[in-house]
Amino acid sequence: MAVYRRSGRHRFVLVLLVLTSITAITLDFRDGGEGALETLRTGGREAFAPIQGAAEGLFSPVGNFFGGVFRYRQVQDDNARLRAEVDQARQESVRAVDAERERELLTRLANLDFVPDLRDIPARVVANAPSNFQRTVTLDRGSKADVAVGMPVVTNAGLVGRVVDVSEQRSTVLLVTDPSSRIGVRLVGSRDIGALTGAGPRDLMPLDLINIDTTVSEGEAVVSSGLDQGILPAQIPVGKVRSARVPEGALAQEVLIEPFVDFRRLELVRILVWTPTPAP
Amino acid sequence: MTSSSRFRVPLVLITCLLLHTTVLADIRIRDVMPDLMLLVAVAAGITGGPDRGARIGFASGMALDLFLSGPLGLSALVFTLVGYGMGAAHTGVLRPSWYLRSLAAMLGSAAGVVLYAIAGTMLGEPLVSLRLVPVVVIVALANAVMAPVVVRVVGWSLAGDVPDRLTGSIRV
Repeated sequence: MAVYRRSGRHRFVLVLLVLTSITAITLDFRDGGEGALETLRTGGREAFAPIQGAAEGLFSPVGNFFGGVFRYRQVQDDNARLRAEVDQARQESVRAVDAERERELLTRLANLDFVPDLRDIPARVVANAPSNFQRTVTLDRGSKADVAVGMPVVTNAGLVGRVVDVSEQRSTVLLVTDPSSRIGVRLVGSRDIGALTGAGPRDLMPLDLINIDTTVSEGEAVVSSGLDQGILPAQIPVGKVRSARVPEGALAQEVLIEPFVDFRRLELVRILVWTPTPAP
Repeated sequence: MTSSSRFRVPLVLITCLLLHTTVLADIRIRDVMPDLMLLVAVAAGITGGPDRGARIGFASGMALDLFLSGPLGLSALVFTLVGYGMGAAHTGVLRPSWYLRSLAAMLGSAAGVVLYAIAGTMLGEPLVSLRLVPVVVIVALANAVMAPVVVRVVGWSLAGDVPDRLTGSIRV
C-alpha cells in the first residue's frame, strides 16, 4: 500500500511538471515571442551574459583544443586548401587588373550591388547554439546598438541569416542553413524565382519552385529576391548552384545550392539596418 | 531536499549550463555536440530516483530553453520525462556499477534526443530527418563517456537527499 502512495506522489510531481512545461510551450506560441515568457527568456540571457562571457574566455582554449582534435582531418584539409589558395593568389595577382575589370563588368551585368545604401552594424559571433537541432549564433550586439528582430546579417561573402531574438547586449541569428529557414531567392542568370530551405550544417540547400523549362547552370549565383513579403532586401548573394536536374514527371527542377558563406568560420559579421515590410 | 542539496543543485545546474553553452557548444563531432543538460537529467534519475529525476530534468531543461530560440518549455518537457523514466527504470538497483551507469546514460540520452525531435516536429519544427541518426549516436556515445563524472557530481549535489530506491516504501 505504501508503495502505491509513494508512486502516486511521484506521478503527481510528474504530471505537475509536464503540465507546467506544456503551459509554457502554449504561452510561448500564443505570445509569438513578445509576452512575459519572452521577457523571462531575455532577462535570463541578459543576466547570464557576463558570466557566460567570462566562461567563454576561460574555456575557449579547452574548446579550441578539443575542437581541433575532433576536426583534425578538417584542419589538415583546410591547411592544404589554404596552401593551394596562396599559390593561386600569387598567380592571380599577375592578372589582377584584368580580373578586377571583369568583376566590375559582371557585377554590373548581374546587378549585384549588394545593398550599398543600407547602414550596417558590425558584430562579432560570441557563441554557437547550444543545440544539435537549431542553427543559430549569438552576436555581441543587441538593442542597445539598434539591432532589431528581422534584420539581415551578412558577411562580405553573402547572406548569413536573420536576427530572431534581441536582448540589450546580445542578438540571436537564425542561419540560412537552419531547417526552419525559408527565404525567397532569384537565379542571377534566368531571373527565375524560387524558395530556398535550410538543410542543416552539412547538406546542400534545396531550391524549390524552379520551372522545368528554366536553364540552370552549375555555379550560377543565387541572390535574395526581396519579394518574400519584404523579409530580406533584394540582391544579397546567398549561394551558387551545385546541381540541377529534372526528375521524371516532376513539375519543378531539383536544384541544390551551396552557400557562399562558410558557416564553420563565422567570426565577424554585419547586421544590415533593414526593417522588414509587414505582411498586408 | 536538504539545505545542502538546496545549495548544491543550483550550483551544479549553473556550472553545467555554463559548460554546455560555452565549451561544449564548440566541441562538435560531425557538427554534433554532447548534451550535458540532458545528461544531468539522466544522472538525476539514476542517482535520485523518478521524483528527483523529473524535478532536476525540468530545471535543467527550462534553463537550457532560455538559450534556445525554439519553443520555451520543450526541453523542460522532454528532460522531465527522461529524468522520471531513468529514475523509474533504476528503482531497485542499489549500487549500479560505472559501466551500468554509462549504459543507462547512453540509452537515456538516445531516448531523450529522439523524444525531443518527435516533440519538436509535432510543434512544427522539422527535426525528424536523416540527420537525426548521427545526432542520436554521437550524443549517446559522448554522454556515455561523460556519465561516470556527471553521475558522481549530480549524486554529490543530491547528497543528504535519500534516493527513492533506498527509502522504498518505508519513507512515505
